[in-house]
Amino acid sequence: MAAPRLNPSSGTPLYLQLVEHLKHSIATGAIRAGEQLPSVRKMAEDLLINPNTVVRAYRDLESEGIVELRHGSGVFIRESVSARTDLMKKAEPVIRSAVDRLEALDLDEDDIRRLMENELALRRAARPRRKQRA
Amino acid sequence: MRDVVAVTNLSRRFGANAALRDVSLTVSRGCVFGLVGENGAGKSTLIKHLLGLWRAETGAVKVFGLDPVSEPTAVLARIGYLSEQPDLPGWMRVDELLRYMQAFYQRWDTTYAEQLLEQFGLNLGARIKTLSKGQHARLGLIAAEAHRPDLLILDEPSSGLDPIVRRDILEAVIRTITDEGRTVIFSSHLLDEVERVSDHVAMLHKGTLKLCAPLDDIKAQHRRMLLRFERAQAAPPDVPGAIRVDGAGREWTVICDARRMHGAAMARHLGASLVEDCPASLDEIFVAHAMS
Repeated sequence: MAAPRLNPSSGTPLYLQLVEHLKHSIATGAIRAGEQLPSVRKMAEDLLINPNTVVRAYRDLESEGIVELRHGSGVFIRESVSARTDLMKKAEPVIRSAVDRLEALDLDEDDIRRLMENELALRRAARPRRKQRA
Repeated sequence: MRDVVAVTNLSRRFGANAALRDVSLTVSRGCVFGLVGENGAGKSTLIKHLLGLWRAETGAVKVFGLDPVSEPTAVLARIGYLSEQPDLPGWMRVDELLRYMQAFYQRWDTTYAEQLLEQFGLNLGARIKTLSKGQHARLGLIAAEAHRPDLLILDEPSSGLDPIVRRDILEAVIRTITDEGRTVIFSSHLLDEVERVSDHVAMLHKGTLKLCAPLDDIKAQHRRMLLRFERAQAAPPDVPGAIRVDGAGREWTVICDARRMHGAAMARHLGASLVEDCPASLDEIFVAHAMS
């Protein structure tokens, strides 16, 4: 697995960036079901981030059912994630046709990205805020 | 004991200049405590109190539950310290310095020191004054780290160093806390480094503690919103609860407390459209508080 480039100054919390990166790696098949993720210490040292950030990302993935923590032996990608990979594959044509239609309106890449982010931000703002971890 | 450091109502003046004003904070065991602020904000002054180099004029300082001024040996034996310009004797050779350091610390780990020397490519026979700035900093890091201190204090360790040496320093921070129970205080004006490694962040501005909270809370509490108005605004829009409003014409950026602000509702209220609503970076949060 290629070490992800995390960007502290983007505003998005680092643990979320790591979660997204790992999900992406799974979706693209760079990490496969049943594989073991690097230990917290190794990941923290490779990425130069606080080990607690790695723990938090792994816990997030665990609560989403993507990985399982096996005590004493490490963190493994669940076999069931191949279903998720399939889901991502199904989503691809949906996003492709949406982008095709936006491009037909003469919008450029930045416009489309902005529209997408804006739409997501508005939806996020409309939803009740997620409970904060204590 | 959970708190490695406890500072209570600490104030310090240098002549007419207040270097620290009524600062209270605690650093809990096992965490990386990031200390941020501009040059002259009081970061080094605070650290010098923790090292017992200065006595508290007003207020109290405890490290490991002890007063570092009256019990320097007990406190300093458990601290590793690296400053911006590590004060190493230039006339000594690398091996002489390490033997000299070893004599001070019962817990000096020779194997660990050798391992780091090799990793950093430091030559044992080299005269310290002939080392490059980066190698000098690396040697300072070994001197601060090889007795496996319970508390590692790094005061602007990355200033003026190249990215590879900065990486070595951050790795040392991570190594230190992955060893159960050890604590790091990391002062820096490089906010993305602080954001990478810190659990808890304190921000000093002109001697006053502006923020002191878990990094996750600080990040969750601050958002950056970009507002676009139909017409150019002559003055910054009046946004209740904003920490800072900055911009010109039709576009204004608002850094605000997310707990007190609902972006879409605020934009509607002001007659603007909400172009962006995202978490603010530590850099933006820091500037917003420093300018407010």
